[in-house]
Amino acid sequence: MKIELKKFGGVLISRPAGREAYLAASAYLLKGIDKNELIEIDFSGVKVLAPSWADEVITKIAQDFKNIKLLNTENSSVQATLKTLRDYSDLKV
Amino acid sequence: MKNDIEKLGYDWITADPENVDVGSDYYCETRDVFQARLDRMVDDLLANNNIKTEKAYLVSAVAGEIGNNSFDHNLGNWVDVMGIFFGYNFVGNELKIVLADRGQGVLKTLKKVKSELENDSEALETAFTERISGRAPEARGNGLKFSKESIKRENMHLIFTSGNAQAELNKEMKIKQIDENIKGCLAILTV
Repeated sequence: MKIELKKFGGVLISRPAGREAYLAASAYLLKGIDKNELIEIDFSGVKVLAPSWADEVITKIAQDFKNIKLLNTENSSVQATLKTLRDYSDLKV
Repeated sequence: MKNDIEKLGYDWITADPENVDVGSDYYCETRDVFQARLDRMVDDLLANNNIKTEKAYLVSAVAGEIGNNSFDHNLGNWVDVMGIFFGYNFVGNELKIVLADRGQGVLKTLKKVKSELENDSEALETAFTERISGRAPEARGNGLKFSKESIKRENMHLIFTSGNAQAELNKEMKIKQIDENIKGCLAILTV
């Protein structure tokens, strides 16, 4: 299963928007998927990612599934956000 | 001397409630308005040759975190005028971004979860360095740490004022007491 974050928008910054994105993904993309299945999270096309949005989505999906792969993370705000989540939100990916 | 956008932000946050300019193009009453204007700022920065693309993305993320913090911590609890001031402009090669809210301020927000905080300076130190959020037990509180590290990495400059304390961030963070009392939060980011 691949989740393309650009389909949630190009500027992903707030917690309420992140929470809504997580709920939508849970209902339409991840429902019924085995916890051990590979989940690819693709950051291509995302311009701005902030920890508030990502904490509601990336951190939670990483808690729900055991096998997560992050794709196309070169963007500076993606890199900085992932580092913050690893340092402060126990993101293990 | 303050440039125009700094002065507008300062005047907005220090005005008497009845004199706050809520008709201003810089006023974002709700988070949706802020998001739309931040989206426009991203496009403006990308169209400007003075700032590199990757830096524009990171600057926008920092502004997004600071602006959303104001909504996160004051929703339903604004002191008088709800929402934030959000403005930006280029002066030569220098980009200034100003964000301000007339909310509870950092000390009052964090004192709910760290009652031993005694003053605004301690509250700012805590907000920028500790893993803590005024919205506990929700797991939050990484936005200002993200901002601090991004500012250091990209050699930006931030002056963040709340109450009578002012944090100045660049490669290092210095916090000092100031002579006036800013109710809410005033952030001036220079890139």
